[in-house]
Amino acid sequence: MTTPAPSLVNRLVLGLAAASVLLTGAAALALDALYRDLALDARRDVLDAQVIALVATAELDSSGELAPSSLAEARLTTPGSGLYAEIRNQEGEVTWRSPSTVGTGLVLSARPAAGGRLVERVTLPDGTRVLAFSLGVSWEAGLQRPATFVLSAAESLEPYFDQLARVRSWLLAGAMLLMTTLVVGLSLGLRAGLRPLRRLEQEIREVETGSRDALGAGWPRELEGVAQNLNGLLAGEQARLSRYRTTLGNLAHSLKTPIAALKSLLDGGHVDLQATGTQLDRMQSIVEYQLRKAVLAGAGSTVASTAVNAPLADLAAALGKVYRDKGVTCSVDLQAGLAYPIDSGDLMELAGNLLDNAFKYCRGKVGLRARAEERPEWRRSGLLLEVDDDGPGIAAADRLRVLERGVRADESVPGQGIGLAAVRELAAAYGGTIEIGDSDLGGAAVRVRLPGR
Amino acid sequence: MRVLVVEDEPVLRESLVQRLRDSGFVVDAAADGIEGEFAGREYPIDVAVVDLGLPGRPGLEVIRAWREAGKAFPILILTARDRWQEKVEALQSGADDYLTKPFQFEELLARLQALLRRSGGWSQPVLQAGPIELDPRSQQVRALGQPVELTAFEYRLLEYLMLHAGQVVSKSELTDKLYEQDFDRDSNVIEVFVGRLRRKLDPDGQLQPIETLRGRGYRMARE
Repeated sequence: MTTPAPSLVNRLVLGLAAASVLLTGAAALALDALYRDLALDARRDVLDAQVIALVATAELDSSGELAPSSLAEARLTTPGSGLYAEIRNQEGEVTWRSPSTVGTGLVLSARPAAGGRLVERVTLPDGTRVLAFSLGVSWEAGLQRPATFVLSAAESLEPYFDQLARVRSWLLAGAMLLMTTLVVGLSLGLRAGLRPLRRLEQEIREVETGSRDALGAGWPRELEGVAQNLNGLLAGEQARLSRYRTTLGNLAHSLKTPIAALKSLLDGGHVDLQATGTQLDRMQSIVEYQLRKAVLAGAGSTVASTAVNAPLADLAAALGKVYRDKGVTCSVDLQAGLAYPIDSGDLMELAGNLLDNAFKYCRGKVGLRARAEERPEWRRSGLLLEVDDDGPGIAAADRLRVLERGVRADESVPGQGIGLAAVRELAAAYGGTIEIGDSDLGGAAVRVRLPGR
Repeated sequence: MRVLVVEDEPVLRESLVQRLRDSGFVVDAAADGIEGEFAGREYPIDVAVVDLGLPGRPGLEVIRAWREAGKAFPILILTARDRWQEKVEALQSGADDYLTKPFQFEELLARLQALLRRSGGWSQPVLQAGPIELDPRSQQVRALGQPVELTAFEYRLLEYLMLHAGQVVSKSELTDKLYEQDFDRDSNVIEVFVGRLRRKLDPDGQLQPIETLRGRGYRMARE
């Protein structure tokens, strides 16, 4: 006993769940990164604008230090507003600070060269995170030598972090909801979708236990073909089984009579060679006949189509070799690409017996034709085989008789004599028919029709 | 005529060997595919009878091996399975005719004679070389329409020469094809029999049906 492999539903749900976790996780991370970039860029632009405004209003005071002449931005004058500005001189000393910096303990260290810009992040003593933007400015007006000043603006990042946390919690909730919906939906859908498979399993089990002969109807399109083919196999198997039973029964019963005859001959005390030979011949023909019937595969033995033309052409060539002395012209006319669901051995038997008869009885001409037959109610086309010759033909009165087993229309030509009867039985095993008619060549024309499905 | 019988069933093989010998054939026999394939390749045989279900090497393979080795002698197959698929396969592998077991010996003989006639290039059942006629079915010989009485060996000699009419047949070839092994090759038995055959077919010396080519052999006139 091996442990059963994980169920198809579980495999699919697990696989798809893993994939959706990865995908939604990656999407959430990407959205998060994108949001952060955009928000920080926006803040940097604001600080840039503040510094430019500072530069525009800056003037040198009496002591040679730079300071803004006025402050347009109200937040710079309000302590604790979260927006700060300062100006440092060439030596790095802070020469001016906005009133809002009072008590914050803000210390900036970035010192860009003249014309340079630097961004830095600073944490204030009270834990507030701040983004600072510094611009180096070279100042000439009112000085003997130009000096570089650094003008900075800074803003608290706390509102940004608050917003980021809110965005993140929304993203997480969205991703969780998406994943749950996907996994639940998938597993429900799969279970519903695979229900016909469970039904198929159940019905096959019922066939096995014998409480059902064949699979029922009403399968989804994907399973329709499987169910049909299984039913075909089942029918073929049942037909074959009953044929074997019949054949075995017939064989046993029909051999009993000659055995009894032989026994009585022996009991007579002397060996009558001729009578013994007759009984042996009888037993031999019984065995031959039943064997022929037993090896016949019959309809349903194959679901797949067999290419018809190659075996027919092989047969015609082989018989041409055997009857080389007669100089037979065999015209072979096969529709291109013919295929029919028949066991290739059965096809060879069927056509072989027909052709052998034709070669045997003809004077010099044999015709072999094969065509597909179409009917509106058939999904797969039927097969028409026609073999004719220029021999003596079969008289209308004899046509039924030659289809019985062991009867030969012309006893003078050696042969098995059961050829046409065997063909009739073969055709019947595929639900087909045989008819004997007259050929344009002058002899017999035998047509075998196998129905489509 | 030299025939090779490859058959594993001892009763059938011995009966075939005996009856073919009685019918005037020189017979080689093999009991399995390996031995049979060797015999067909190495001995100068005219025709082979091969069972398909052989131990050692299947009949089909034996036939294929012979044909691949360039052997052209006709082959008659015996098969217990009366299925067309098998017959077609055998004929495609290089066999020339088939017979289904059980069979009548007369049927086998008729098929062998037909194969030999065919491989000699004759399409008619009765062989004819000028005024001489030979019917293998009844083993009757006529010269200018008159029946000629021949002994079994004389008949075999004439049949071989007629089947190869128009060709030069050497004395050693005749020895191989008409005698079983252990024959004294230096004896002039063949010459003696050819002489007798000439006298019986052509008592007046007018027809001269068999030509002697000194140092090479004999030739039967085809016309």
